[in-house]
Amino acid sequence: MSRLREPLYYAALWLISLFFFAPIGWIVLSSFKTRSDILATPPKLFFAPSLDNYRALFAKSEIFGQIFNSVFLSLGAVIVAVLVSFLAAFCFSRLKPRGTDFLMFLLLSIRMLPGPAVILPVYLMYAAFGWKDNHLALLLFYAMFSIPFSVWILKGFLDGVSTRYDETGLVNGGSWFHVIFKVVLPQVRPGLIAAFIFNLIFVWNEYLFNFLIGGVKTQNIPYALMVGTYSEGGLNWTFISAMTSIYMVVPIAFIFAFQKYLLVGMTFGTVRGEV
Amino acid sequence: MPLEFRNISKSYGRTRAIDALDLTVEAGSFTVVCGEPKAGKSVLFRLLVGLEHPDSGQILLGGRDIANDPPARRPVGYVPQSFALYPHLTVAQNMAYPLTLARFARDEIARRVDRTAGILSITHLLKKTPDQLSGGEKQRVAVARGLLKDAEIFVLDDPLVGLDYKLRERLMDELKGLRHELKATFLYATADSLEALSMAQHLAVLDRGRIVQAAPPSEVYHLPATARALELIGFPRANLVPGRLAAGQLTAGPLRFAADGAGEVVVGLRPEHLRLGDGADARVTLVENLGGEAVVYLDMQGQALTAAMPLLDTAPPEIDAMVGVTVDPAEVCLFDATSGARISSIALRKAGTHG
Repeated sequence: MSRLREPLYYAALWLISLFFFAPIGWIVLSSFKTRSDILATPPKLFFAPSLDNYRALFAKSEIFGQIFNSVFLSLGAVIVAVLVSFLAAFCFSRLKPRGTDFLMFLLLSIRMLPGPAVILPVYLMYAAFGWKDNHLALLLFYAMFSIPFSVWILKGFLDGVSTRYDETGLVNGGSWFHVIFKVVLPQVRPGLIAAFIFNLIFVWNEYLFNFLIGGVKTQNIPYALMVGTYSEGGLNWTFISAMTSIYMVVPIAFIFAFQKYLLVGMTFGTVRGEV
Repeated sequence: MPLEFRNISKSYGRTRAIDALDLTVEAGSFTVVCGEPKAGKSVLFRLLVGLEHPDSGQILLGGRDIANDPPARRPVGYVPQSFALYPHLTVAQNMAYPLTLARFARDEIARRVDRTAGILSITHLLKKTPDQLSGGEKQRVAVARGLLKDAEIFVLDDPLVGLDYKLRERLMDELKGLRHELKATFLYATADSLEALSMAQHLAVLDRGRIVQAAPPSEVYHLPATARALELIGFPRANLVPGRLAAGQLTAGPLRFAADGAGEVVVGLRPEHLRLGDGADARVTLVENLGGEAVVYLDMQGQALTAAMPLLDTAPPEIDAMVGVTVDPAEVCLFDATSGARISSIALRKAGTHG
């Protein structure tokens, strides 16, 4: 009985995986097909692959800017967010200022509202400041949106690092700077990675605010996908498939490399498991 | 440099952890601070190291008040109660940590680490990381790291707590060796009075945030300054029996002595000073046979007493047996019932004799 159970178990897992990976497989395969092959019924599994779609994609000059914007905005925002969050979480965890619990709640409450709920005030603010279509301004917004989550994750990790480590650093002649960055930081690396990955995926996928408070100069890939979908009369499948395939590479690579940290992020650092 | 705690107080909320404490530590001495858990040992050490600041009072090192200096500026090496070894560093890097921070030359660091590792016999562990070590090994690495700081005073906060008996004995010997090697001032906290007696050059008995006696260990043992000092130092615990001096006689429960004076007192008796023999003075309620000696718990006319008897060629008494108890009046300590201070002016004699 148990001999049978394991292969059955794996068979079920494979089936489920195939079911979920089928759309991804389809879009990646489509990116190597011609337009008529993509739209053929029944769908063609065997076809002559071509790189024409990618050639056509990179023939557009704006595509490089869009990819650069996506990379710059997500990396930049997340690095700023993780650095700020680490210092904030260190303060909450170690100095425990009055009202720490309330402040932590307040931070999280920013994320309780769905993004569209704050569109109007954010838009008006950015318009008034003249920050529309500005890389740094957009980066700042994404960083702001990534900070609450990162603080929560990092505080969980920092609380797990005994203050005895800080004290040992201080007693042996270390400065606070030394304690924060050389003693404590290396010990919460899993938390930093978790916060990094989690927010990277968020910013990478962000479309709404890029569309609203960004502009021509700050277009990212989701923006490009949105605009390019209905071009050349009807749904532009060759563009969608090629652009989506490129777009997916970054999160898939990161998730594959750091999947164990993702669970940490989703549970606010309360489930640490193997990391 | 001599170290002096002068009128130090430290409170946490309403709890007085250190209460107007005075203590002088001679340069180059090995001073053991012994007290029950929560007596304030760790707080005292944290004040010295600089992790806490006193509410009032001074900590004078070579005559200069260091009570408000940041920890980095104090020439004090610290072995905390918890190991706190950095998990991301190897044992060698952990040990070298204080020297690295002080920017010593690399070969000098290596030389010192090797030497200390040799003394504490942890040379074979240097390349490992802390998670690969056993509790005792971690403890030795933590001690090594504390001692490697280029300091004048080393503070060890109960470094042997929680270790198994054999390891404690070994580390105790190694620490004694180290103290001769380093020729620095040592402050050592322990809750174990036998450990304190065996290691101390100078013994400070701490009780509820105050030093009740600071003297060489034999003096603390034989001439306790207060009833608490008698009670806290020595194992098994000393007997303290409330008594009354009146009409040329001291009556303390079942014990009778001839003595002059009047008033309420406390009679202190170490267990080994209760000599058991033939007779029917007390009933045995419990016997702990430790091999070389036995701890015998007695009920003497309703008064619980503890006696320790050597087991040279005698067997310990059975439970519920009746035994005779004799006490040499010269070995009895008398304390004031209210202040707890030792009374040395009254001489005790055997009951029925007149002096």
